[in-house]
Amino acid sequence: MTSRLSWPDLVAGLVVLGFGLIGFWQASVIPVSPLYAQVGPKAIPYVVAAGLTALGIGLTISALRGGWSHENPEMAEAGPLNRRAMGLLLAGLLVNLVLIVPAGFSIAASAQFVLVAAAFGSRSMLRDLLIALPLTLLVWFLFVQGLGVNIGAGLLESFILRLMGQEPV
Amino acid sequence: MNRRTVLAATALAPFAGSLGLRDAAAQARFANMNMFIPAGPGGGWDGLGRAIEQVARHAGLVGNFQFENVGGAGGIVGLPRFVSQRRGRGDALMVSGSIMVGAVLSNRSPVSLANVTPIARMTQEVGVVVVPAQSDIQDIAGLLAAFRANPGGTSVAGGSAGGTDHITLGLILRALGRNAREGSYVAFAGGGPAQAAILGAQVKAGISGYSEFAEQIRAGRMRALATTGATRSDPNIPTLKESGVDVVIANWRGVFGAPGINANQKAALTSFITDLVALPAWREMMETRGWDNAFLAGAEFERFLAADISATESVLKELGLA
Amino acid sequence: MNAIDGLSLGFSHAFSLGNLGWALLGCFLGTAVGVLPGIGPALTIALLLPITYQVSATGAFILFCGVFYGAMYGGSTTSILLNTPGESGSIITALEGAKMARNGRAGPALATSAVGSFVAGVVGTLGIAFLGPVVVDFALVLGPAEYFSLMLLCFVTVSAVLGGSPLRGLTSLFFGLSLGLVGIDLQTGQPRMTFGLPELFDGVNVVLVAVALFAVAEALHMAWNHVDGKVQVLPVGRLWLSRTDLKRSFWPWIRGAGLGFPFGVMPAGGTEMPTMLSYYAEKKLVAPEYAHEFGTTGAIEGVAGPEAANNAAAAGILVPMLTLGLPTSATAAIMLSAFQSYGIQPGPLLFQTQADLVWTLIASLFIANVMLVVLNLPLVGLWVKILKIPTPQLYAGILVFATIGTYGISNSVTDLLLLYGIGIIGMFMRRFDFPVAPVIIGMILGPMAEQALRQAMTISEGDWTTFVTRPGSLIILILAALALFGPRLYALATRRRRTAATASVDS
Repeated sequence: MTSRLSWPDLVAGLVVLGFGLIGFWQASVIPVSPLYAQVGPKAIPYVVAAGLTALGIGLTISALRGGWSHENPEMAEAGPLNRRAMGLLLAGLLVNLVLIVPAGFSIAASAQFVLVAAAFGSRSMLRDLLIALPLTLLVWFLFVQGLGVNIGAGLLESFILRLMGQEPV
Repeated sequence: MNRRTVLAATALAPFAGSLGLRDAAAQARFANMNMFIPAGPGGGWDGLGRAIEQVARHAGLVGNFQFENVGGAGGIVGLPRFVSQRRGRGDALMVSGSIMVGAVLSNRSPVSLANVTPIARMTQEVGVVVVPAQSDIQDIAGLLAAFRANPGGTSVAGGSAGGTDHITLGLILRALGRNAREGSYVAFAGGGPAQAAILGAQVKAGISGYSEFAEQIRAGRMRALATTGATRSDPNIPTLKESGVDVVIANWRGVFGAPGINANQKAALTSFITDLVALPAWREMMETRGWDNAFLAGAEFERFLAADISATESVLKELGLA
Repeated sequence: MNAIDGLSLGFSHAFSLGNLGWALLGCFLGTAVGVLPGIGPALTIALLLPITYQVSATGAFILFCGVFYGAMYGGSTTSILLNTPGESGSIITALEGAKMARNGRAGPALATSAVGSFVAGVVGTLGIAFLGPVVVDFALVLGPAEYFSLMLLCFVTVSAVLGGSPLRGLTSLFFGLSLGLVGIDLQTGQPRMTFGLPELFDGVNVVLVAVALFAVAEALHMAWNHVDGKVQVLPVGRLWLSRTDLKRSFWPWIRGAGLGFPFGVMPAGGTEMPTMLSYYAEKKLVAPEYAHEFGTTGAIEGVAGPEAANNAAAAGILVPMLTLGLPTSATAAIMLSAFQSYGIQPGPLLFQTQADLVWTLIASLFIANVMLVVLNLPLVGLWVKILKIPTPQLYAGILVFATIGTYGISNSVTDLLLLYGIGIIGMFMRRFDFPVAPVIIGMILGPMAEQALRQAMTISEGDWTTFVTRPGSLIILILAALALFGPRLYALATRRRRTAATASVDS
């Protein structure tokens, strides 16, 4: 076992420690309840925060002693970070978050589909788009018309509803 | 019939509504109505909204309904969305009720029912105080004596803390000269687990909506001690009020209009609901659903709402929840 | 009327063309919604409620039961194939099921879960017909103190999924416990861990977290070290169970069903706890030659047991609803309101006043079960074709699919942010070798245990001895201690006996 400190593991340990401290902070801001309660609303949050903090300290110490993740086969086999793939995938998630309210479900989800497929090496964006649009529109209609669950008509859905002679939501 | 005459007719409707239905009611008042439900599909508010749709569309009062469900935190996640997106729109309704009154107060929501336009209270359900069948307590006087002597040792099961059941207990304790927070209230996540705890005599008593416990009472597994309405719901069960505890409370549901609508738009919505409630189909709906008609509109509803909010606030303050 | 007469009456009603049609429609709809994460049977039945205006009570309830059982079958399909659980009851199924699928054993995994669901459905439905009223009276004896002890027992199961390092496994557990605390506290109405955001007042949905940690995290992890141009196609092996698979699945099915039914009957039981206990039991009881498959290539016992437990518990949930009128799950609550819209009051008298309806319903549960297994087994071949989709479109599809389930129901961008955020945390957990299953277990058990603890303490007026003075609670606590220390003591005893034996030979 090496005794050299492992930087990634140290960060992981500190993040857990940080979660524990956030837990303490959030537990401390729970309004004090004057309710007749044998075990109040703050007791368990403090216990959980204390546990997480202690574990964070344990992990930090473990990282200072050389860490653990170099023993993880997932890490050992893993290649270097594929910046392009990761970037495209995260962009896909972000695009969905940004577009889903203003542009509607089908457009946002289709954009996500195309970007994620591109992240995993798909060559033909047009083909992916042609898969994604009908698929997401179908899902939208299943939700809205089939289940009666309103998930809001975006630009594309409204356009198609108008073509069908219906008033968009 | 042109649009102006519809408006004229609907403006008068609050006064004419009680005189019965006129032929004009058969005309669609709204081509489209946006029904906003600040709760997920399947709950009580959703049920009321969809019942309104069912009856109104059948009677031709409304051409088409659009539903929007935004659930969460007793309705206060959806409320701000309704306020900001429907401002000034005369063709929008939101279902709400006692639960939102409590949620706004206990979560200190910046947007409240004061930000929307009250239209009408439509249904209500009175609460009932029960004990397990095998309990020593035989009547409401017995339970009140137990509350007076040792509220901490008299555990009461009901719905989530700060809800109608909890507020009922708080009001009872206050009426007995005790503090609301002295109660030993055991909150359960749903009707099932709460009922199970009462049936199994895990707790001393229970408080919930009458319909939740009705079958258990009928089958003799729970003993009903008192109901919380102004008058008896069941001829054999006394009310709290006649038992000397001045508590009248019910879980009510109603509809609200968008903020910033003008007097005509408000009158049109009020007359729509007034006429809807007068339909035989609505009475039938209420009967099959087991709802109590609690129709109240206009200034009376606004007075009721203000009184309900202040009573709820006083108990929640004492419980430390507002 | 005894159960045999009741059943024959029920079957005579259920075997009409119309009622069989409703059952088929229900099974189909149920399977479809079970597949979608987030959309469960409760919501589907809620949305189908308006049909109660047009359809007879019997037809409607047969439809609802089909949806209910169908959703349980469908929930496991995506757990296994896409690592995306559809319901909270099928989260545990994903642990081993998805690993089997990745190692070319998707067919047997799907088949064992379908047959296991069938076995459990039959056991559970027999339980409803013959044991219902007896079991439910027993279940009422359990109070919050017993439930708290029961959850302590379930926490033992965490040890089965901790992975190599207790330090990292417990960190995952505590992360799950923290997530479980988010929301308004049931007992006092105070918001906790919400950072003041009303969107978090109702807490974080456990299915959302499971989908984030399993599916979204996996997509991110794959992208991290994706090698451009390399096309990876998952192997799809045999579709049906081999003789060995069948032998390995049989006892897990029976044990899972036996565990699941009583938990379903308990008013505060549910489908999640028995799946965890079943997983724990199977991991402990597995034949030594297959033990290494757990957590690596996927062990079929870990799919068969929890899946049977899930379905038997689902059947059990109907017992308190039919015998006492107690809705102990969201689905039962919706079904109860459907009863009411027919003017039928479910309650202790239902079996007498509505014998026709109740027995037809129970008979149609059997029919739904047969239909589902017939519907699902041929589908196995079709489902595994999903794995043939090229990686780019497959992962794109999984992410879109996870998004639909999350956004479709809540209409909330906050939920999407949580889905992706927790997915990113999940990716790092994988890279740093933190197991994700304890997060889910902590999230499910933590809040239940806390509420039960505090309910029990309020009832006992602050007397901690309530957990050992109530006999039921004490028995469960002893069981928990046995489950935790029993295997170690047993190992110690056998080792000592062995050394004693060798010592005696030596002398």
